Amino acid sequence: MRGVVRRDRAAFAALYDRTAPQLFGIALRILRQREEAEDVLQEAFVAVWDRAASFDPERGSVMTWLVTVLRHRAIDRRRRRAHLEDRLGSEEDLLALTAAASDESDRGAGLAALQKCLAELEERPRRAVLLAYAYGYTHEELAKRLTTPIGTVKSWVRRSLERLKRCLDG
Amino acid sequence: MNYRDPKLRNLLACEYAMGLLPSRARARFERLMADDAELARLVADWQDRLTPIDGTAPPAAPPRRVWRSIEQGTLQRSFSATPPAGLLQSLAFWRGFASTAAAVAAALVLYIALGPGPARAPAVVAVLADSSGTPAFIATRGERAEEVAVAPVRPQSLEAQKSFELWAIAGGPPKPLGLVSAMPGKPLLVPASAVAAAGTVLAISLEPQGGSPTGQPTGPVLFQGKVLAN
Repeated sequence: MRGVVRRDRAAFAALYDRTAPQLFGIALRILRQREEAEDVLQEAFVAVWDRAASFDPERGSVMTWLVTVLRHRAIDRRRRRAHLEDRLGSEEDLLALTAAASDESDRGAGLAALQKCLAELEERPRRAVLLAYAYGYTHEELAKRLTTPIGTVKSWVRRSLERLKRCLDG
Repeated sequence: MNYRDPKLRNLLACEYAMGLLPSRARARFERLMADDAELARLVADWQDRLTPIDGTAPPAAPPRRVWRSIEQGTLQRSFSATPPAGLLQSLAFWRGFASTAAAVAAALVLYIALGPGPARAPAVVAVLADSSGTPAFIATRGERAEEVAVAPVRPQSLEAQKSFELWAIAGGPPKPLGLVSAMPGKPLLVPASAVAAAGTVLAISLEPQGGSPTGQPTGPVLFQGKVLAN
């Protein structure tokens, strides 16, 4: 990443090669549409090149920063779709999602802990959290998808995340 | 809103990390966070808790064209910071182009299109002509000398579902340099190192939309020109 800040194009290419498949996977899950996911991946890396100097390693890892830039762009793209129905997918595999653990040591351990805490949530609030984080649902889309008033959905998400926090930090 | 309220700060940090903030609220929050290290810390803590979910998205290899457009997008930025101008003052230009009146006319078109600017002298790197010898594309070097811009001197006709792809040929197999627009004003930027050697031939072939699927030219070469000696 230091290389990217120095405008070293080889370092930038190496960063892309190392991270693009995972980032593209994340964009595809949110957008479910290859062309849009390609656009978003491209925009995100151009933004990363432009804003590399503002990256602060004190504030988190490079990967977290890349994921943040990418997810926000993917979510914005998803929100611009005109019809609410076009934005809703059929993500019925949410528990499969939490079970599809990568076996890489660090990430695997983090996921296992998170899964254990997610399992302590009630089913619908848990779905709301995962639909929002993994699939980029807005509060409005969650309300529609879970056929629940938006205020209820908001408080589900808030309370669930506080419970997750206590569970993970405790 | 009172951004000092710890409850509100935590909630916003959490919703930011979740991706739930509406776009404008998110932009506002990012400005706050830039000057508030403690708020950034709250966000980082939430991101650390949630990021294991990212790893559950099955990785997928993006097509090569994504990287090509990223390279274009980022080179474009460094290039557009130093607009090429003053072409007529360039010695290399006159040395390279004593040849045809058409080339001069073409360069004039480019000069007019670019308009006057700071007195930099972008060297002409190559002129690509069609089979009749009429210049069609021109490659020029910017002030930073680390990239070369390739653009048509006037709009070129291009069939639907097709692309112009630029290649550098220097002894070995042609090296792909990217897709060139058929319209002036949106130059393809390539690293100067790719066209450094005098005698390298730049060629543009007609390819399926998005570029050659094989990494080598598959269609006819429509335009070509030699890189000029400096």
